[in-house]
Amino acid sequence: MDASVLKQKDSRWAMILILGLLVTGVWDALFLNKPALRFVVSGFFNTICVALLVVVFTLIFAWIVTLVLNYLESHNRRASYMLVTFLLNTIRSVPQVVGILFGYIAVGIMLQNGIIRGALPVFPLLAVSISVFVFIEFVDLMRERIAHYKKLDFYNAMQVCGISESRIINIDILWKNSRIHIFNKLISVFGAAIFLQCSVDFIISVGLSTDVNATALPATMGSMLANIDSKQDVLAIGYALTHPLYVGNLFFEHLQGLTVAFLIVFLLVCTFHIANGYAQRHRL
Amino acid sequence: MINDQFSVQVYSHSRPIVTVDSYEVPRDQITFLFGESGIGKSMISKAIYGLLDGDELDISVNGKKYSDYLKETKTAEIKKNSFFVFQEPSSHLNPLLNISSQLREGSLALSDAEQEIMMRLWRGTDENAVKRILDVFPKPYRPSGGEKQRILLAMAFKKIDVFLQTKTSDSPSYFVFDEPTGSLDNTYRNLFIRLLFQCYQTKPFTVTIITHDYSVISELYTKYTPLLDVIHLKELRRSKGAAVELVDFSADDYLTWLDKSKPVISASGAQQPVLTMAPHFKIFGRKLCLYGDAAHSREKTLVINKGEMAYVKAPSGVGKTTLAKVILGLYKSRESDLTISGIAINENTPQKKLAKKIWGKRAGMVFQHADESLDLQSSVGETFAGLPLTPALNRESIKNKLHELFEQPLSEAFLSKKVAFLSGGQKQRLNLLRTLALGTDLIILDEPLNGLDFVSVKKVLELLAEKQKQGAALLMISHNEEIFDHFVDPQNIYYLAETA
Repeated sequence: MDASVLKQKDSRWAMILILGLLVTGVWDALFLNKPALRFVVSGFFNTICVALLVVVFTLIFAWIVTLVLNYLESHNRRASYMLVTFLLNTIRSVPQVVGILFGYIAVGIMLQNGIIRGALPVFPLLAVSISVFVFIEFVDLMRERIAHYKKLDFYNAMQVCGISESRIINIDILWKNSRIHIFNKLISVFGAAIFLQCSVDFIISVGLSTDVNATALPATMGSMLANIDSKQDVLAIGYALTHPLYVGNLFFEHLQGLTVAFLIVFLLVCTFHIANGYAQRHRL
Repeated sequence: MINDQFSVQVYSHSRPIVTVDSYEVPRDQITFLFGESGIGKSMISKAIYGLLDGDELDISVNGKKYSDYLKETKTAEIKKNSFFVFQEPSSHLNPLLNISSQLREGSLALSDAEQEIMMRLWRGTDENAVKRILDVFPKPYRPSGGEKQRILLAMAFKKIDVFLQTKTSDSPSYFVFDEPTGSLDNTYRNLFIRLLFQCYQTKPFTVTIITHDYSVISELYTKYTPLLDVIHLKELRRSKGAAVELVDFSADDYLTWLDKSKPVISASGAQQPVLTMAPHFKIFGRKLCLYGDAAHSREKTLVINKGEMAYVKAPSGVGKTTLAKVILGLYKSRESDLTISGIAINENTPQKKLAKKIWGKRAGMVFQHADESLDLQSSVGETFAGLPLTPALNRESIKNKLHELFEQPLSEAFLSKKVAFLSGGQKQRLNLLRTLALGTDLIILDEPLNGLDFVSVKKVLELLAEKQKQGAALLMISHNEEIFDHFVDPQNIYYLAETA
């Protein structure tokens, strides 16, 4: 690999992420018992899968709503514009975790009533519940980009050349001139999706229901952290703080909880640095 | 005459930005530096002056590392003695200090000629106007562009005053004026030149004036003939890739060309109006009016027939670009009454109708700033994508269009080149060609000669004459009054002014 690639902060942190995951995987394969390993692997991939779906849905929702708002604004549909803005602001006013919690409850009820079965439809539904409370920030970004280019001669100059508004917005502004900003935001959305997922899964698993997560929702890192074994492992980390000689045991005897806690923190830290590095590289 | 010779190489991440092997700065003389926008005039001047960031760019001057060049006594003295007037005055002014404090910062405080300089740059008519400006904290819209530019010039003149008080025979200086009159009309430009030359005649110093304003040549050759021996006209030309060379610019070429230029008479469309507009309109709470004379005594309806070019004159900031945007329906003006190719346009005309019948179909506009008007992330070829032409332009027809203003042969690679990597002059030509490719009845041109070298200026004007002959009606907005006074029939010159 070209060494200069690693001079870029985002590439360096992406590499750290991959290496960290590989080392964790190898260590767990060697020292974690097989049922727990399967549990951790499935929790990790489920979490990543939902987070990626959140990214996709967020992008789709935001792009559509941005176009709708732009259309309503430029065609002077004041009432419709106000209505859509009001709905968006209503969603914005709901704390993200609370909103997502209700989405999860709805999915849980659907599962319990047999409306949906298996993991396949659950993943997109969970992702939609998160996306609904994340995509508005994305709409703001896209609208800021459009407003920026409308202030310049860019928009008018293209318009009076007879270039269609949809081409100017979709291709020239959002795709060609904003995709770096959009991609940077998507990295952050990925991190936010992991964080929100873990938070909500943890809350559901610990306190709100005794049967929804355990029986129906796919295991994620959040729900695994709430699992009794992991909780004991996490408590062991606290114990090791006051009994340093116990630290060595953590890596062999408390691996499930340690792995899950590490993966959550490690993913978030790496995502943060990748997004930051990407922004620095492209001078956003 | 002693010439200071420089070789300058500027690279960014191993990519050459600009290189020049032999760049002469005649010591204690005045150089007017022409050349297309983006070719490297400012960058070379900044490198010599010592203003570039050696951490961001790989720079060498006269074969020395930039850090070593900056340590040289002579470079340090140049920086101490001289002044650099930046092209964009806003970037020079500190928004947190009022103008009077900025005019007295550092060594500028040593000059007591501030009042006199300010009065002269403000035409010496209104002392209160000058006082009002001094209390202002710079913001995007206050002072105006023209005022900001004159404030920077005032700073430079104060520095010149300080330098002349202490100058010895071997004191090095390098006063650079980068597009110092871009926002000034000819009256203020001439005031600046007169003041500069008066200072120069007290004691000579080294001056470089970077400009695209070729009409300054006529001013020099009519009013300052005794100084012509110490005035040098130079042009920076691209030789290969990022390499440029400094060559003499022939004043005769320009003056002869101008002398021979005359308005195009089109036989094809006499008295077939393409644009008509009543003289009065209201916009942004202001009343504007078009007149047929410079004294603003005779209101005149704007009428452009097929094959005609009309020219709108007004000082900077009055609303020439606003007028163009009103005509195209981009700004909704009150009480405007206009038609384009028989289609009436007013404040109630819906955008849908404009998009369907006017924009790109009957009328097009070349905007002032190519950098803003073009999609810099597109390739040259993609710039023509999406135009309402049937059939759409293919690569071959795009090449044919480009041949009208670009040097031949054009490679396929040029079509794929990102617009962001073109020079300013190339962008401006591309900006023009995109609109001209539409073949609309009316073409509005807002400062179409911005950033072009003389060869391109001539090519653009030939192309516009060709369009006129084909029946296009042109509405010209430009600071290059001297050029367009020759190219436009005096009957088609309009004066825009604000009315009470």
